[in-house]
Amino acid sequence: MRKFLPSFKLLSGLLNVYGLVFLTFLYMPLGLIVLYSFNANPINMAVWTGFTFDWYATIFGGAAVETTFDAAFTESPERIFEVVKNSFLVAFTAASIATIVGTATAIAIARYNFITKRFYQALLLLPMLIPDIVLGISLLIFFVGIGFELGLMTIIVGHVTFLSSYVFVVVSARLAGMDTTLEQASADLGAGPVTTFRRVTLPQIMPGVVGGFLLAFIISLDDVVITYFIAGVGSQTLPLFILAMMRRGIRPQITALAVLILLFSFVVATVGLLLRNRKP
Amino acid sequence: MAFGKTADSRRRQGLVLLLSPVTLLLGVFFLIPLGIMIVYSFLEPGLYGGVEWNWYPYNYGRIIGWPLNDYETFEPIYLSIFLGSVKIALLTVLVSLLICYPAAFWVSRMSEPRKSFVLFLITLPFFANLLVRIYAWLLLLRPSGFINMALESLGLIAQPLDMLFSSFAVIVGMVYIFTPFMFLPIYANVEKLDFSLVRASQDLGAPPVQTFLRVILPLTVPGIAGGSIIVFIPALGNFIVPAFLGGSKVQMTGNLIERSFLQSRDWPFGAALSLLIMGSVVIIVMFQVIRSTRQNRGAA
Repeated sequence: MRKFLPSFKLLSGLLNVYGLVFLTFLYMPLGLIVLYSFNANPINMAVWTGFTFDWYATIFGGAAVETTFDAAFTESPERIFEVVKNSFLVAFTAASIATIVGTATAIAIARYNFITKRFYQALLLLPMLIPDIVLGISLLIFFVGIGFELGLMTIIVGHVTFLSSYVFVVVSARLAGMDTTLEQASADLGAGPVTTFRRVTLPQIMPGVVGGFLLAFIISLDDVVITYFIAGVGSQTLPLFILAMMRRGIRPQITALAVLILLFSFVVATVGLLLRNRKP
Repeated sequence: MAFGKTADSRRRQGLVLLLSPVTLLLGVFFLIPLGIMIVYSFLEPGLYGGVEWNWYPYNYGRIIGWPLNDYETFEPIYLSIFLGSVKIALLTVLVSLLICYPAAFWVSRMSEPRKSFVLFLITLPFFANLLVRIYAWLLLLRPSGFINMALESLGLIAQPLDMLFSSFAVIVGMVYIFTPFMFLPIYANVEKLDFSLVRASQDLGAPPVQTFLRVILPLTVPGIAGGSIIVFIPALGNFIVPAFLGGSKVQMTGNLIERSFLQSRDWPFGAALSLLIMGSVVIIVMFQVIRSTRQNRGAA
């Protein structure tokens, strides 16, 4: 778009202003909850009355709950610890399995020719394409139908089905940008497929694999809709916990918890995105 | 080659080994559940939840208009909720398109490393928890929220605006959540745009508006179509955003599905509603596939 419009300078200036508005739209709501989480005003977060760490302290059980009204909104730190533990257990297990499945599939698609290739490519896109609610209820019907008790296991299985697709996409992108001559050289020099994979292919796609794992991990950790349908009574995850809190009302404690989750998601996603974008 | 055959069969074994996990996973936990859901949508709901194994097309009948009049009547409300969801999803697509289209041009003109950084900034909110992002908009839109407080202190309004629990709030929330989905396909398209065509149009004396409508816009149709589809699909089936930002005033098909599964326990009816959504998704995706193949054939 360089140097072709007479009014280019004006347009360019307008676009720059627009870009800042666009970024503000993306980040202002998130910035606002960070700000609110430090506001001492217990009644209305939009009115600043002073700086406090109290809302964070209540999450960790560090500050006494002052009113009975607040008590209804405050969960014990043990309860929060339990749901966080559930969430991490699910996310780690599901992302690990999805990384193996997704990577294996990506290698098969990138390095082999077979008749059903297009079918597999379409099949892997489907879980990302169909609405979460459809995925969630079809799994619910399935698990209840075969008599599988809903719990952490069903959540893990449910997450693996759609996370594999995400890992597949990330690793495929990495494989597409990779030089295949090294693999050929390794094979020509007599290395078996397993050795070639372990010593040549894997080290090259590793950033994609780790990036895919981290993205899958964070998507699993954040998932609300699918988990909502296939979680059992005793298997609440952190997002379901927040969902239940939000249904009861808006409280500063929720804001503080939301900020902590936001921070964690951003750190993990940043590492994941950096690894994904690193040039082979 | 002497080893030809054994090498070939080893390669085949490798392929089978690599593909069996995904085949097993998506076969058992994705395709079979979807199949069961389709079957369920044609079964009779049991009296106390569950299903009776009888052919029963009236789950769809209740929605579209041929109910089994003994038990239930045709409720136009279901169809109107579905059409309302389509409308909200379309508006979400339109608004996010208008927001993301200029932004894509803004980013495409940048030079590295600034470009990568801004792309990262635009992608990052996708990884923020869905509930956290909805919660942020609850705080912004509610009567005592940030927007009302700001407008009041500026003296622009005397009474707080009633923004929450409306289609407006639902659309704002969904646009916010799906912005990265719309931005990235459009950006990928704009990034590859051949600007020499734009220059040619200019040189031949076309005014900017005409250049935009007849050169830039047609060239970015693939990105617009791709982005619109991946925003429309999750918007159509959404139930979390309307549950919080729409309250009881804005019902979408997703809320109906959720209720028929977790409250009224009429699973076949919920399955039928889900299939209505799935059907819309399939139609749209097929439309897109046909459109893009026709375009590719045109280019070749």
